[in-house]
Amino acid sequence: MSLRYLKTVRVVVALAVFVPATFLFLDVSEILPLWLVKALPAVQLVPSLFHLLEVFGWGGAGCIVVMLLTLAFGRVYCSTLCPLGTYQDVISRLNRSRNSLRRFRFHRQHYLLHYGLLFLATALGIGGSLLLLNLLEPFANFGRSTHALVRPLVVLMNNGIAWILEKFQVYQVYPVPFHLPSIVAFLVPLAFIATVSVMAFRSGRLYCNTLCPAGALLGLLSRVSLLRIVFDTKACKDCGLCEKVCKAQCIDSGTMRVDFSACVGCFNCFDACPTEGLHFGRRQQHEPPPQMTDRRRRKLLRDVVGTAAIVAFLPGDTTRTAVAVATGKTRASVPATPPGSQGIAHFTSACTACHLCVGVCPTQVLSPSFMEYGLGGIFQPHMDYSLGPCNYDCTLCGQICPNGAILPLTVEQKHVVQMGRAKFVRDDCIVTVKKTDCGACSEHCPTKAVHMVPYERGLVIPEVNEDICIGCGACEHPCPVTPRKAIYVEGNAVHRTAKLPEQQKPAPKVNVDADFPF
Amino acid sequence: MDRRTFVKTTVGASVLFGTGVKFGSLGKVFAGQSVPYDLVAVKGGEPDVMFDQAIAALGGMKTFVKKGQKVVVKPNIGWDVGPQRAANTNPKLVTRVIQHCFQAGASEVSVFDHTCDDWRRCYSSSGLEAAAKSAGAKVVPGNADSYYHDVTLSRGKIMKTARVHELILGADVFINMPVLKNHNSSKLTIAMKNLMGIVWDRGFWHANNLHQCIADFAGYRAPDLNIVDAYAVMTRNGPRGVSDSDVVTMKAQLLSTDIVAVDAAAAKLAGQSPEDIGYITLAAAQGFGRKDLGALNIKRITV
Repeated sequence: MSLRYLKTVRVVVALAVFVPATFLFLDVSEILPLWLVKALPAVQLVPSLFHLLEVFGWGGAGCIVVMLLTLAFGRVYCSTLCPLGTYQDVISRLNRSRNSLRRFRFHRQHYLLHYGLLFLATALGIGGSLLLLNLLEPFANFGRSTHALVRPLVVLMNNGIAWILEKFQVYQVYPVPFHLPSIVAFLVPLAFIATVSVMAFRSGRLYCNTLCPAGALLGLLSRVSLLRIVFDTKACKDCGLCEKVCKAQCIDSGTMRVDFSACVGCFNCFDACPTEGLHFGRRQQHEPPPQMTDRRRRKLLRDVVGTAAIVAFLPGDTTRTAVAVATGKTRASVPATPPGSQGIAHFTSACTACHLCVGVCPTQVLSPSFMEYGLGGIFQPHMDYSLGPCNYDCTLCGQICPNGAILPLTVEQKHVVQMGRAKFVRDDCIVTVKKTDCGACSEHCPTKAVHMVPYERGLVIPEVNEDICIGCGACEHPCPVTPRKAIYVEGNAVHRTAKLPEQQKPAPKVNVDADFPF
Repeated sequence: MDRRTFVKTTVGASVLFGTGVKFGSLGKVFAGQSVPYDLVAVKGGEPDVMFDQAIAALGGMKTFVKKGQKVVVKPNIGWDVGPQRAANTNPKLVTRVIQHCFQAGASEVSVFDHTCDDWRRCYSSSGLEAAAKSAGAKVVPGNADSYYHDVTLSRGKIMKTARVHELILGADVFINMPVLKNHNSSKLTIAMKNLMGIVWDRGFWHANNLHQCIADFAGYRAPDLNIVDAYAVMTRNGPRGVSDSDVVTMKAQLLSTDIVAVDAAAAKLAGQSPEDIGYITLAAAQGFGRKDLGALNIKRITV
């Protein structure tokens, strides 16, 4: 039976995932339904694996399905569900040099590099730093790149359209806040996507078989998969077309062997084969793993050890405070992590920094960090109250985090999660300095943890009841004192439980039937 | 977006920018209508019923809205809370007011506020987006700098300029619809304070003598009509409120073309003396309205 249709199926599924997955990070006006925002990341291998390890919830089902699929058919995930995979296919197709779609030839795979990186990323992750994993992981990189490189353009375009329509008193399209990513949050994704693009343009799925930790993990599984692509030595006419269309460069038509651990399941070979010389079958014979020369082996070993050394000596937490203070943005010495993230330790050990939460956060308070968590936590979001407050009744970030780094909270639960506590700097307050009323902080405070108490000359000044403060930053954000706010949120390294605002007796009733008081 | 689209958009935008926009009613300081009463106070009914009777006492909405005019209704939509919390203007009342505007011949009624919480959530949780749309009004965002344009406050003491929403600048009729509430630093938020929602930079007010800035801005453009919603009143923990228990039922409503008078009367309703509210005293002294309720011609209605 011809298996050509499999390529068509693959293309359709890949596009059906890729298009909405891209829009996930570009949805500036909250158009996408919440179920879709939750469903697409739930089938991403690494996020879902984190979810399984962190909370053992339904969100972990995605990775089990992906792994079972791989054990059955190989790495079909890489060509369908992974948006970065599809992105590479698009780039690869852009190569219009001679015979562009038939430009590949078999290469021995870079096992040591690929599995070495997986091992290193895992070891570092267990040791507490997700830096290497986050720099390599496909979904996070896809999200970060789209968020940092494409979203600003979408925002500009949206705002341009809104601006033009506004001239005709049409307000259906509205401007959204435009934030330029920090230079690091811009350059690192740019470097990553440029690297992957060059790799894809020249060599198809080279990233997937060298740098990608998801590819490495699935590659290990596909080594023992039930069905695999094998040659039918009788039907094969040895034309070599399959090898030329193989983006993973894993088909050696000369020896009629397929390195199935590197196959990304694109099924181009089935489509190209004129004679059904390839099919899905059981393992034919024991295939000895390809041998490496000593020279290559030594070189790769150097690469891996070198990378390890760099990562191992990266500066840790000590740099954080210094950098945060130097940038002058906040007085806080501990950054606040999102509600539901339980604190810095849980959050930074489970967040792959895909920036999905940053994109959906309605007030933009969730913002990619730079050094707030130290270099090891680079890009993992933190609460940046200079951009906005955390909306009291909003629980979106926890609902959509595919990793379980931010756990879902009900609105009632969120109301008592204390991410941090407001600290009032009395000497800098408008009321102290100018002797006039202000109260912007207390005005916005949803629990009245920040409340006004008598000051001199009939004025009122803020006071903080930390017990009922949740660290939402509704006080810090509107504080008009510049350059540094007179009230700020000091993060709780481990989230605490805030008390609910004291139940007050109902406000005294008014006599509706009384005469007007004037 | 490819380069070509980007260039097209940019060029198109700059061409439009060059043309600029014309605004009517700029710098209109006094409301022009002659009305039979300085203040109408009504109590004892549902918000819409009270409004029907109160506006009738002023000769109906046609006193304020002429055929074909563009009307802006500015309720308080500042907070992402439900109607039962009375942090935002009563939706039933807003619907009714918009209906009256259309009956009087308004060509267009727009509703907006520069909210404190995320505007999309405020518009929806408050029930005001639905209320305004159900009456046929246009719901307009107030969340972006680009909607606001520089105006001069010639009579301001501290605040000499502000950025005001273009809807206000282009409106024939401006109806100010605050809800009466407790306020942590200005004591009460009523009609004058509600005007903070038509400007962009509120930080300036807070940083530069809040009471004086509220008074200064009252001299910019008097609303053609102020409707104070005092049906349900937040008497503590304002202006956002902490729980439903902060709210009492008052079943009252005030209408006036005089923004100072309506604030003074509302202060009394809330059990406070207008003299104790800094901005009321200041605005009266600057001549933006009258706070001496005894000297006003007041129509009192009990439903």
